[in-house]
Amino acid sequence: MDLVQFIKKDLIWVQTPCQDQTELFAEVSTRAASKDMITDQFLEKLTEREAIFPTGLQLENFGVALPHTDPECVTEQFIAVLTSEAGIPFKQMADANQETTANLIFVLGLNEPHSQLAVLQQLMGAIQNEEHVKALLAAKSADDIIETLSQVVLHLKGEEKL
Amino acid sequence: MSKKVLVACGAGIATSTVVMNRVENLLKDNGIDASVEQIKIAEAASKQAGADLIVSTTILPTTYSIPAIIATAYISGIGMEELDEEILANLK
Repeated sequence: MDLVQFIKKDLIWVQTPCQDQTELFAEVSTRAASKDMITDQFLEKLTEREAIFPTGLQLENFGVALPHTDPECVTEQFIAVLTSEAGIPFKQMADANQETTANLIFVLGLNEPHSQLAVLQQLMGAIQNEEHVKALLAAKSADDIIETLSQVVLHLKGEEKL
Repeated sequence: MSKKVLVACGAGIATSTVVMNRVENLLKDNGIDASVEQIKIAEAASKQAGADLIVSTTILPTTYSIPAIIATAYISGIGMEELDEEILANLK
């Protein structure tokens, strides 16, 4: 499985107008629910999980967040992608007392996470290379995001990291 | 004697899967005889007896009787080598 197979055009927001987590989670949940990809519990559980176990990551020049929740809340797997130039505040994964402003957010809708090692490694590989992050943030459309992620996966495979 | 490492994350999904793989390879590459178990951080308190190290991708809700290391470096990519060294140092 490749990361790109989890990326749905309808679940990509380039330069989202959302300003905070509440808006962002509601936006993603509403869209995913309209496609019958999640259960009614998803939004509540996602919000709860993020409050207890935050997922913000501070990179050198950017912030990233990987909100996700219980597999039971996901009926069809997806990874939603959002970019935000201004950034959306998230608490940090390692220390909830610190915040990061996330420019790139991947909402992970996974229901078999343990079997998705390669997909998750590709996602981390994308985050861990600033050139990849910059390319994603420069994307002007959902198609750009998908194309960029395809390139990232090819690049990672070329590095034989996978 | 064989060592035991607990790899924990909050949701018990996603991040610990990647870290688990990294830690297993790290131990293998360094010839360290250790088993690795993937857990939710909430289980760490009850599972620490008999284990030697907790490697967590999430905040630690309490203190433990064994060393506990935060491993978000494996997710962000910043400071991965230092984290490798820290984990190895705790198992020697």
